[in-house]
Amino acid sequence: MLVMSLRILVLLLGLALVPSAWAQEQAFTNRSTELKERGAADARAVGTLAENTEVKVLARSGGWTRVDAGGRSGFVNVFHLRFPVTVESKSGGGGFFSGMTSAMGGGGRKTEKATIATTGIRGLSPEDLKSASPDAAALAKAQSYRADKPTAERFAREGKLTAVSVDNPQGDRR
Amino acid sequence: MKRILFLAMILAALPLHAQFGGFDIGKVIDIGKKAVDQGSPMGKEFSQDDEIGLGDALTASFLGASPLHPDANLQRYVNRVGKWIALHSDRPDLPWTFSVIDTETINAFAMPGGSVIVSSGLVKRLASESELAGVLAHEIAHVVRKHQLTAIQKGMTADFWKGVGTSIASDRIKIGGGVVGRAAGEIAKPYLLDMAGNLIKDGFYLRPLDRGMESEADQMAVVLAIRSGYDAYGLAGALQMLAQYKGDADAASLFSTHPAPSERLADLEKFVPSVERYAKQPQLLEVRYKQNVK
Repeated sequence: MLVMSLRILVLLLGLALVPSAWAQEQAFTNRSTELKERGAADARAVGTLAENTEVKVLARSGGWTRVDAGGRSGFVNVFHLRFPVTVESKSGGGGFFSGMTSAMGGGGRKTEKATIATTGIRGLSPEDLKSASPDAAALAKAQSYRADKPTAERFAREGKLTAVSVDNPQGDRR
Repeated sequence: MKRILFLAMILAALPLHAQFGGFDIGKVIDIGKKAVDQGSPMGKEFSQDDEIGLGDALTASFLGASPLHPDANLQRYVNRVGKWIALHSDRPDLPWTFSVIDTETINAFAMPGGSVIVSSGLVKRLASESELAGVLAHEIAHVVRKHQLTAIQKGMTADFWKGVGTSIASDRIKIGGGVVGRAAGEIAKPYLLDMAGNLIKDGFYLRPLDRGMESEADQMAVVLAIRSGYDAYGLAGALQMLAQYKGDADAASLFSTHPAPSERLADLEKFVPSVERYAKQPQLLEVRYKQNVK
């Protein structure tokens, strides 16, 4: 009975995860890793996935990614996946993308390339940005949405966000 | 002494042929004098007011290129998340402003002085408030560490200053029927508008920052998110989304201005365990995110 309730709970938790437009993306494990029942380090492992196991990404949740591994669903550490899709620039690409390709295709793994269709998507082009003239009315409007300190603090309380002290290894000590 | 240092900086900024070939000391002094007369930050530290004024002028240009997203609730929501995180930074008192621009292009930008711009294309692909927190905290870290300002100052050659200050007597401060300034009625200094215009035309925001600055911003973002009560993996989740997203290299997107997401994830994997233990009751806030990001 308890096991049953736990299963239902796990199922409900799974449903609560946010699926998004990129769901069902193909990914590969970048090392041998455990497939966990829940998204938590102390959760039970339902199996072990060997390095380079193909999975489908179902949802992200903090440090865990819910995946489908050959019909078995579970959670994999966010750092234990790699994604085969690289981006090709229509103009032939700069150093950045060659860097990206080599980083993803490291270790002699196959790197797949996808040609990107952008038709119909209104994006911000470099030309748009370079030729922009300042819009003061829009700036004033943007500034009207600012949150003051009490508003931000109330918002944090509503979300049960509790401030904690962290020593930053980089040096600042707040 | 200050003047000697200042002149030396101008000389250092000049091309070699100008220094040793057709050297026109009168012209050099003219450029420098004009900038100094207007109280410009050439050759000295930016004051906080100038930093904010420059950020305002840059933001106005961004909003001229890409409009604000029309959803006022979304704008307020992103401002609340951002301000809460900024309160836990070393510069909590800047006039922090977070603007969602209405474009499919995936990117986020930080202006000197505390103005952060994030695209709706990025916001709608995030899965939780903790992922948004990770993205905003990365930009906040750039502002706190003055990364953009440092890069801007590094790029200030004498050439850069030639057009700056020329509009002092013109009416360029009145743009589109409004006035660019920190608040209604407060007018930004004209040389800051000129500087912002030069930086935008020059494509400053289309170029990457130093790799070290990006890495520092990623690490500080994790620290700021934990301090603010968020999950330590928000930025990692956002980077995982970016790693699998089929971006457009030709657009003014994050893919052409940041190191590869997979490299950033690999760096974070080394860093996060060193600070994760501080998180007490970390929040993801997936439901609140869905309620506010339609």
